[in-house]
Parts: sequence; structure tokens; C-alpha cells
Amino acid sequence: MSDTKSELQDIFRNVFADDELNLTDSTSADDIEGWDSMMMINLMIAIEKKFKIRFAAAEIANLKGEGQNIGTMVALIEKKTNRR
Amino acid sequence: MSVFSFQFVIGALLLATVFFYLPGLFIRRLVLATCNVGFIWLCLPNYQSWIVLGAFVVSGYLVGVVLRRLPSSGILATYLLLLVAAFLVCKKYVVVQSLLPARVWDYPIVAIGLSYLLFRQIHFLVDMMQGQIDDVSFASYANYQLNLFGFLSGPIQRYQEFHQTWANWTPLLNSRHEILIAFVRLYAGLLKIAFSSVILWMFSHERDFFLSDPGLEARSVFAVLLKFSIMFYCYPIYLYFNFSGYCDVVIAAAALVGIQMPENFDRPYLSRNMIDFWTRWHRTLGLWIRDYVFMPMYKAVAERWSRQTAVLVFPCYFLAFFLAGVWHGSTLNFAVFGVLHGGGVAAAKLWEVQVVRRVGRKGLKHYLASSPIRAAAIFLTLNYFAFTLLFFPHDLSTTRIVLGHLFHRIGA
Repeated sequence: MSDTKSELQDIFRNVFADDELNLTDSTSADDIEGWDSMMMINLMIAIEKKFKIRFAAAEIANLKGEGQNIGTMVALIEKKTNRR
Repeated sequence: MSVFSFQFVIGALLLATVFFYLPGLFIRRLVLATCNVGFIWLCLPNYQSWIVLGAFVVSGYLVGVVLRRLPSSGILATYLLLLVAAFLVCKKYVVVQSLLPARVWDYPIVAIGLSYLLFRQIHFLVDMMQGQIDDVSFASYANYQLNLFGFLSGPIQRYQEFHQTWANWTPLLNSRHEILIAFVRLYAGLLKIAFSSVILWMFSHERDFFLSDPGLEARSVFAVLLKFSIMFYCYPIYLYFNFSGYCDVVIAAAALVGIQMPENFDRPYLSRNMIDFWTRWHRTLGLWIRDYVFMPMYKAVAERWSRQTAVLVFPCYFLAFFLAGVWHGSTLNFAVFGVLHGGGVAAAKLWEVQVVRRVGRKGLKHYLASSPIRAAAIFLTLNYFAFTLLFFPHDLSTTRIVLGHLFHRIGA
């Protein structure tokens, strides 16, 4: 698991209060119960703090859109943090 | 001009037939721009309305260009304040009518299309400021705003989606089968709109019974309840067939000329709560509210008061849907409609929180998978939505009279 995904998994476990949550690239909002708009923002705030980045409204909207998953979230974070 | 008109249907079919025989991108853009102007020409009755529409579009584009070069929340907030104030005046909102002299309200402006234009403009400006739009020209922005396939009643397309077509205009439907499906959808949409007018007649007939029928007292309670039930359920049926029929027509007609409009309905009457409902009914409005009202508002609140998020999310839901309700129309009944939807969404979230508190996240999964619970939730949501629609089609006094007569007869 990449560093980014590993750190993201810690954030997800903390936000969703679920220590058994395991993320893969294909995990999407449909796979995690309760991943609604409120939880999305809680996630975004935690991710922004952890990685010291800011998300635009359209980016947050896209991350919740069809075909989006943890893989695309990791790619966006790495693009913003220049980890790639 | 309505999409349920001979002119629109013939125009759309002619355009679909010749559009991809037109040589080159420039000619296609020119033809769409001409059709947009022609369509709006048939909608707007006077030059004053054109001036207002032009001022909205031109100012939005200019401020967007400024915000891209100089991202400033202050500029955005100031412009949005002026834009919303202009919108309220043009739409003659009841709340602002008492604030301005009476002669101001005599102007002949017809604010057709401004409601949807406002949403597209706010999205465009926010995305421009946040660096989410790379490529923009006045021609593409003006045609995005005046696109005849979304001008009157949506769906609310995002600029980036429209620009993909504008930049590289190729057929969206690549087989005879896909084209045939689009034509079938267009005709099915027209049939749905025609059918909706029958349902609207039934609704109006039963509503008028409660408003004026002198024989109300002579009817049995059962007969009165039956009449109320017909009225109660006819309006949601009418609204679904009318609006989804309209969307079928414009989405299919747009697809035939290579423009992919977003889908607006996804079996909304199978929603299990009001949060789910707004991702299925008028989806582009629900998603717009989520992306540009609820999420920024909740994010700002959660960043400032991180320990109180579990409580503060509820006023955010409430306010977001209240604004959505008020946007629907200029009279007080839409404010009530918005409050009821805000309440419905907040109640759905509160219920989920309680379920998680009692049975945990794993228990929530089992709860959501239960068929009887799902059926009950769908029934409740549908009826709650139908109840909110009592405040949608007419003013508060009409609703009060209808409900007053109903309760008087039941209680008698």
C-alpha cells in the first residue's frame, strides 16, 4: 500500500470510527455505509489538515461523482502534494 | 415558447437532421448560437428583458475573468450579493416588494430563464475563482448560459461539460440504435407531458371541489377523504410526468445535436428518505445545492467549530434546502415548501444518527438492507413529499382553505 493510501486509510478509520475499514483503489462511496455529504466534508477537512492542501468545490463534487473511488482520490492528493 | 410546442419539436428535429452535415466547428457553433438566440427571442416579450438577460450574462463572464486572474472571496461575495439582489427584484419576490417604491414594480421585465441562469453563474464564478476552469471564451460562456436545451427549466449543466462539446463538436450518438433510442425518448417525453395535463386536470378538479363546492357538507367523510387523496397524489404524479417528460425531450434533442445534458431523474419515488430523494429528483438541482451551498457552508462551520459538527450540520441542511425552496418561486408558500424539505432532510440525517448510535455502522448496513424497512421508508418519503407539495402549486391562502375545509368536514 502506498504512503498516501495508508495515511488515507487512517483518516477514513478515524472519521468513520471503524478500525476494520480497509481501503483499496476500487473502494467507492457506495462501499462505505454512511459516506454522505456530511462525512465527505469531514473527510476533506481531515485530508486537508493532514496533507496541507485545499480542495476546490468542484474537486470535492467530482470525488463523490460516478466512477470515482479511492484510486482517484489518492491520485488527486498526490497531484496536489507533488508526490508523483 | 415551450418545449411542448409544434415549433420546438419541428425545430429540434430539423436541427438534429442537418446538424452533423454542417461543415466544421465554426459553422456548428454559429448555428447553435443562432438557434439559442432565436429560441430566447420567442420566449422574451420585450427589449427590457433582453437587457436584463444580457447584463446577467456579460457581467458574469467579466467577473469570472477577473476572478481567474485575481482570486478574491471579497469580489465574489460582493458580486453574488448584487446578483442575488437583482434576481430578487427581477423575479418580484414578495419580501423585497415592500422595500422599493411601487412604480419600480411596473417595469415590463419578464424573468424567464433567470433562475437557472443564476445557478449556472454561481457555479461558473466559484469554479473560475478556484482554478477549475481552464479554457473559457465569451462565446462559449454565453452559449452555455443561453443553451436552448437547458435555458427554461434545466437540467443544470456544469460549464466544463458544455465546454467539452463546444471545443470538439462530434456526434454523441454513434449508431442507428442510439439515434433511434434518442428519438423514442423525445416522443416518449412529449407523451409524458401530454399525459401530465390530464393528471393536472384531475388535480385541479378535486382542488376546486375543496375550494368552492357547496355540496361538501352533503358528502360522506369517506367520499371527502377519497377526493382529497386523489388531489394529494395527483400533483406528485403530474409533476413527475411533466418535469421528467420535459427533461426527456431536451436531453434527447440535445443528444441528437451532440450535447450531453445531465440526467435529472432517477426513480425519485423509490427514495428511502429526503436526502436520498434529492439525489434522485431534479438531481442537477440537488447536486448543485450540495456542491455550492451545503458543502461550503458545512465546511466553513466544521472548520470553525470542529467539536459541534454533529449538531451544526442540521442548521446547514435546513438553510440549504430552505434556500432551494425559496428559489422555486417568489411567494411565501415556497418558503414553507423549503422549510419542510429542510426539515425532511434534517430528520433523515437525525434518524440515521440514531440508528448508528443504537446498532453501530454494521447494524446500519443490515438496517438499510431490510426489505420491509425499505418499503416503509419509501412509503413515508413519498407521502412526505406529496404533503410538501400542498404548498407548491398555489399560495398559502389556497392551501389553508383546502385543508380547513377538509379538517372541518372530518371533524363535523
